[in-house]
Amino acid sequence: MRFVTLTLTTTLLATLSGAAYADITIGSAGPLTNSEALFGATWMNGMELALRQANDAGGIGGQKLVLQREDDGGDPKQGTLVAQKQCDNAGMLAVIANFNSGVTIPSSDVYHRCGMPQVTNSSNPKVTKGGYANLFRPIANDLSQGAAPADYALKTLGAKKAAIVHDKQAFGQGVAEVFQDVFKKGGGAITSFSGVAQTDVDFSALLTTIKSENPDVIYFGGIMPAVGLFVKQAREFGITAKVFAADSAFTPDFIQGAGPENAEGAIVSFQAPPYDSSPQLQDFAKAYKAAFKEDPGPYSAYGYMEAQVVINGIKAAGASPKRDTIVPAIAKSDFDSLVGHVSFQPNGELKQPFIFLYTVKGGKFELLK
Amino acid sequence: MATLVLQQLINALTVGAIYALIALGYTMVYGVLRLINFAHSEMFTAGAFVALFAAGLLGGVTGHPGVALLAGLATFVAIGLLGVSVEAVAYRPLRGTSRLAPMLSALGMAVVIQNVVMLAGGRRPLIYPSFLPRGVINVAGAIVSYKQLAILAVALVLMVGLELLVNRTSLGVKIRAVAESAETASLVGINPNLPIALIFFVGPGLGAVAGILYASYYGVATFSMGFVIGMKAFTAAILGGIGSIPGAVLGGLLLGAIETFATAWMPALTHGVIGTEYRDIFAFSVLVLILLFRPSGLLGEHVSEETMVYKRDF
Amino acid sequence: MALMPIAVVVVGVFLPAYPLRILDLVLLYAILGMGLNIVVGYAGLLDLGYVAFYAIGAYTYALLASPQFDLHLPFLLILAIGAGLAALAGVLLGIPVLRLRGDYLAIVTLGFGEIIRVLMNNLDWMTNGPQGIARIDEASLFGWRVSTPVDFLYLLVGLAVLTFLFVWRLQESALGTALAAVREDQDAARGCGIDTTGVKLIAFATSATIGGVGGVVFASMQRFVSPESFTFWESLSIVLVVVVGGLGNPFGVMLGAGLLVLVPELLRAYADYRQLLFGVALVLVILARPMGLIRREYGPSWFARKLMAR
Repeated sequence: MRFVTLTLTTTLLATLSGAAYADITIGSAGPLTNSEALFGATWMNGMELALRQANDAGGIGGQKLVLQREDDGGDPKQGTLVAQKQCDNAGMLAVIANFNSGVTIPSSDVYHRCGMPQVTNSSNPKVTKGGYANLFRPIANDLSQGAAPADYALKTLGAKKAAIVHDKQAFGQGVAEVFQDVFKKGGGAITSFSGVAQTDVDFSALLTTIKSENPDVIYFGGIMPAVGLFVKQAREFGITAKVFAADSAFTPDFIQGAGPENAEGAIVSFQAPPYDSSPQLQDFAKAYKAAFKEDPGPYSAYGYMEAQVVINGIKAAGASPKRDTIVPAIAKSDFDSLVGHVSFQPNGELKQPFIFLYTVKGGKFELLK
Repeated sequence: MATLVLQQLINALTVGAIYALIALGYTMVYGVLRLINFAHSEMFTAGAFVALFAAGLLGGVTGHPGVALLAGLATFVAIGLLGVSVEAVAYRPLRGTSRLAPMLSALGMAVVIQNVVMLAGGRRPLIYPSFLPRGVINVAGAIVSYKQLAILAVALVLMVGLELLVNRTSLGVKIRAVAESAETASLVGINPNLPIALIFFVGPGLGAVAGILYASYYGVATFSMGFVIGMKAFTAAILGGIGSIPGAVLGGLLLGAIETFATAWMPALTHGVIGTEYRDIFAFSVLVLILLFRPSGLLGEHVSEETMVYKRDF
Repeated sequence: MALMPIAVVVVGVFLPAYPLRILDLVLLYAILGMGLNIVVGYAGLLDLGYVAFYAIGAYTYALLASPQFDLHLPFLLILAIGAGLAALAGVLLGIPVLRLRGDYLAIVTLGFGEIIRVLMNNLDWMTNGPQGIARIDEASLFGWRVSTPVDFLYLLVGLAVLTFLFVWRLQESALGTALAAVREDQDAARGCGIDTTGVKLIAFATSATIGGVGGVVFASMQRFVSPESFTFWESLSIVLVVVVGGLGNPFGVMLGAGLLVLVPELLRAYADYRQLLFGVALVLVILARPMGLIRREYGPSWFARKLMAR
């Protein structure tokens, strides 16, 4: 047994510490094998694209940028392991991690210990509560994501009654609670606030109840494919209330999944303007398709922007960038990305979180003014 | 109120029929081999994906209505053969070693099939074209879709077919003989491999059809959709009495009803303390209660522990 | 044999942090595996919901040592409470279920595991629901702050040794003999005057206790708990640790824990095919060695005899 332990540890040493030092390595960690694998993979493709473009432009100080993708499986335990692995890799200067709030909260502890600049894509307000100076979040957190639709429902639509459904996950429940608070404070009434199981695809029982409550608007805090199915089933049950959904519904799959006639009029919040709304985003979508032979995923543009944050930080960190010089450089970020202006507050949150409301019209997303 | 109940009842029947179709596969395998076939849930998933592929080869499901039927049949056969091969490769060599080993082998096969589906079909939730007719009718204020009617019809036909196969054919006699006791059956000259292969053909075939119905009903298929529904279908099988074919059908329908009505009424009855988010554990709570008070299930044979023979379970 | 833990510590302290964390995880799974082995390996019952006890331990620590209720009890006290609560849950679940036949235990425990997870996810006022509990206190033992991976190596090696000695003595005790009798032939065991339900209950509760201890340690290592750490796959992994390594053999369990943690890590480079290869490997191991890689006979007692004979 002693022999086995020794063999195992030597194997470990041999295989795990052999990192490449030649290039500038940027790490990323997100779900690549579970049911959210699609989001993780297309998000990282976005980063990859930013790195390739930077390399085509000559890299940084002649050095090429390399993206090292890691799978955290959306699992906190794997997330901390990956974080440690990336920390130990002395050639790794920054990470873009993680995708899930439940993973980022524990992993940020580990990244903090090794002073690793960490740019995260997870939107739960708690993520930045650790007060770590090395952690940045260049996207809107759930507070703005839930508040904007509630404001719109109250002020523009004049809605009085809202039914709220969420998927009992950190993200879905978080935005749903914010929607609830803002809607109530604005004088609206909540007819019901229900959670569903994350894997649920059958909302018929719940919808039958909601139909009898006759709300003006329904807010769905959850991700694809549930949100598409929810809208579809709601319309099939003859529910006509305006439906609001959070960012993961911002994909053609949502309209397809719900059926264009059912999705019509649904309102979706999203951190970025549409892919066809500006030449920059059109170029991004085109370049993405050329590079990966598929359309960008819902989070690809974020991945691209987050990689830009890191790349700009490394460039700004001087001749021989180190983790501890990159952190203050990222904190001073101040540039227009393809999705909006990036500059950080001292707590690592965006100064002006960008959030856009879209509506589905004629089978396409259209920006709401 | 009456309309509401009727509406929920139709919802419940549809979900229940799908559970029942899957539960049949679990119950037949358990009845004969005393094996919890964890890979069965993935036959359901694979069925939905294979059918879409087959329909694509035939020119798309939206064209001629015959395409849906033909693709469905092809899928039944393909997944049936998959079931037979899984049994031959991963379970048969372990027959007679221990009870635990085949179950773990089944878990391994479940992981393998799920990942093959993921690699072949992609991680993206597939927007699933309906294999079933569209449209709705209004029954006393409740909205019934043709899809729901078609699901009930397909399930009914398959279940009657299975009942006839098991009770009216000579193959059926062999299946029942092997289920009763493989040793005795072999004494009277029945090679157990044939009936067991048949079970591993029919069960996954039914599961695959359930997968097509399910994906068509909800309009989406994901590679990971089998796990939860598989656990529920297994619960349905126990609820009805594991090993019993009518029991699986009854268990499926009952579980669909319990889930639907509990989800609809529990929040109001408990003033929101138990909300719809508990849906998944309604099924398990029922399971635990059933096992405590009637371990043999509703239609299973009564077995007290005293009469059970423990022979090296592991 | 006493040299083994020392060797682990000596090798461990020189490891970089990432492999060291992996080693910590191996030890944690070895402890959990030795606990589950009491039910699966010694008593011959399949428990597919072991994660429930692990979750109870983890949440006990998270609730009693975090800003959640602003409670900050000492680590050792919570270790005792967590172990006690897990044992209690084991007894409460075991009393009605252990009368039933073996396969049903598998399903009921599977259901119980899911019920506990869903409760953790839904009882928001207590557990914070899906958001989980963050900023859990660092563990501290008589003034020794347990925070770095090396600290946990010491703690886990200590716990693993204790667990190992405990399960070894248990296996060799009268209770262990009774469990073996129950496993081999329950009717005969009852005929010999063994209270079969009673010994199964003790085994179940003891195993749950170790699961609870593992959970407390996990929460203090991770300093964050959320329901997604306690899924069915987690239960399954621990079952695999036992079954792949060797049923009823603590050495096997250690080997199993090593493989189950290491192999997925080594397959990280093949992210897409990782789970697929994992599944294939599982089937192959089961087909080739249905009783696990190390057979029951070659346990600690055999090893001790060998040493003596030399």
